[in-house]
Amino acid sequence: MRLSKWRSHMLLFAVLALVVASCGGDEGVTTPDCDEVDEVRLQLQWFAQSQFAGYYVAHDNGFYEDQCLDVTILEGAVEIVPQQVLATGGAEFGLAWVPKALVSRDAGAEIVNIAQVFERSGTLEVSWADSGITEPADWAGKKVGNWGFGNEFELTAAINRFNVADVELIGQDFSMAALLNREIDAAEAMIYNEYAQVLEAVNPETNELYQPSDLNVIDFNDVGTAMLQDAVWVSAAWIAEAGNEDIAERFLTASFQGWIHCLDNFDECVDVVLNNGSTLGQSHQEWQLNEILGLIFPASNGIGVMNVALWDQTVDVATSEIAELQGKEISADAYRTDLAEAAIANLGDMDTDGSGYSRRDIELREAGE
Amino acid sequence: MTDRDDVIRETHETSVAAAFEGDLPIGTRKPSAIRRLSGRYLPAVVAFVTVILLWEGLTRAFEVKTFILPKPSEIMASFVETSSTIWGVGLNTFIEAAGGFVIGVTLAVATSLAAARWVGFREGMLPLAIALNATPIAALAPIFNNWFGLTNPFSKMGVVAVVVYFPVMINTTRGLLEVDPAEIELMRSIAATETELMRRVRIPNALPYFFASLKVATALSLIAAIIAEYFGGPQDVLGQYIVNRAQLFQFPDAWAAILVASIIGVTFYVVILVFERIFMPWHVSLRKVE
Repeated sequence: MRLSKWRSHMLLFAVLALVVASCGGDEGVTTPDCDEVDEVRLQLQWFAQSQFAGYYVAHDNGFYEDQCLDVTILEGAVEIVPQQVLATGGAEFGLAWVPKALVSRDAGAEIVNIAQVFERSGTLEVSWADSGITEPADWAGKKVGNWGFGNEFELTAAINRFNVADVELIGQDFSMAALLNREIDAAEAMIYNEYAQVLEAVNPETNELYQPSDLNVIDFNDVGTAMLQDAVWVSAAWIAEAGNEDIAERFLTASFQGWIHCLDNFDECVDVVLNNGSTLGQSHQEWQLNEILGLIFPASNGIGVMNVALWDQTVDVATSEIAELQGKEISADAYRTDLAEAAIANLGDMDTDGSGYSRRDIELREAGE
Repeated sequence: MTDRDDVIRETHETSVAAAFEGDLPIGTRKPSAIRRLSGRYLPAVVAFVTVILLWEGLTRAFEVKTFILPKPSEIMASFVETSSTIWGVGLNTFIEAAGGFVIGVTLAVATSLAAARWVGFREGMLPLAIALNATPIAALAPIFNNWFGLTNPFSKMGVVAVVVYFPVMINTTRGLLEVDPAEIELMRSIAATETELMRRVRIPNALPYFFASLKVATALSLIAAIIAEYFGGPQDVLGQYIVNRAQLFQFPDAWAAILVASIIGVTFYVVILVFERIFMPWHVSLRKVE
């Protein structure tokens, strides 16, 4: 009697242990046997920050290693153009916005989109609340800032589409100083980065941080000229070589795993980013990760799998409003979904849609500390 | 008074001329104008055309991708197609370069005159000038943008002025100070004041050095203006245009704009040459090469 009771307890314990071990963790991911490890490089499109948390987590938590990959993450900079790095063989994988990459493709760079990681655009045009600028038509006769380098397409498309006259386009640097000094009337800002930089600055009138109520924001998703942003691109020549499709699939598997890991391990992911030498501090990276996850999740077809309707919208805006692409045909082989879909299949029952994701409240501190 | 002026002028000119004059043998025939001109310019033209032909030929033969190196024919096509845009932005950049040039040169001349006149000023100012010269443009530009305002053209002119200041100042100072001691002795022997010494001996002596430094400054001013523009400001300027085109892989456009920058630079240089000829017709360097 006692023995069978003990046995039944042990059995229960064993079953429970198995159940606990198999859920909540990153089990269930298909990992190959590592006969050989492939060395690859990922070219980021900016400096280390939460925008790339998924990749840093995949690196630091060993997800790439599990997929038999030795990944070197190359930080971006103002002058580094990932499409160019890809096209000249400086990296195997590169992150780039779709419109910029389409213009590069048109100019002869043969690159292919293998995973559309961000489903929503994060670009805003920010003005002070007292400027009265609430919609594109209000930019008429004003100094409207943008960063150039292909980041301005959503803005210029809106100006064209709404026939806004007399807009003086000013090149901003990547700080918000020009807006804070009121030198320009509207500034380009990413919701996950430069917008937060304004909210981390002290308002000299109140001696406290600026509040969202001090600013008017024009969101290009609302305006209708938003275009798809961060995606993973590869060189067409590279992916055509034998064995590289498999490498790409494994890379995407681990990368997606990294992003999904951040859904449930927010603070850990922020720490990983900070440990990789992000320039701006903790509260800024928290804000950024919060917003970035909101651009990725919920993912309509699963993370990284292209939503064709959104692609078509991007192509439509690009070919009608971007001077370099006007009237051009964008070929269907500019993107592929098979590798991302295979990666999702490898992730078993992980939360690849992130459908439950919602943004949390982040408290910003001065200068993003 | 006039005799003294004449003595000084003649002495100066003779001593300069004597240093460089060479006599041609009797009976030397001067070649015809066409031969002289072609002798002077033909090698340069031939070299230039050869380079262009090689460039076009090799990029075609090796099917070099446009975004690695565009063909000269593509660049010319873009140059023609975008001409109103690139000349417009070129003019805006030239205004910044010229404005900064004027400011920098004026400051340089003023401090050179003071440095030549007072030893104390010279000793005090030189280390500061050297330190200023060592400051990279990439550091100055964002600072000036912040001080003077991103949209204020003076923020770019300020960078140009700083870059142009040192070469002009140092060369002009040298020209003012490195005067033939015999001339100074002569002036002192006829009881010339410092001001007269400056006006009649030092300044004419400094003119060749000054113009040489101006020629250097023309190129520097354009480069400084373009680089300063990278750091933000109105986008209808060469620096922003070139960088934006390059980032979008539109390299024929970028090269066409670079060509505009070169043409503006050369024109600026030629303008200085003209001024040099006006102010220094007597100088040996302006005599024709025989």
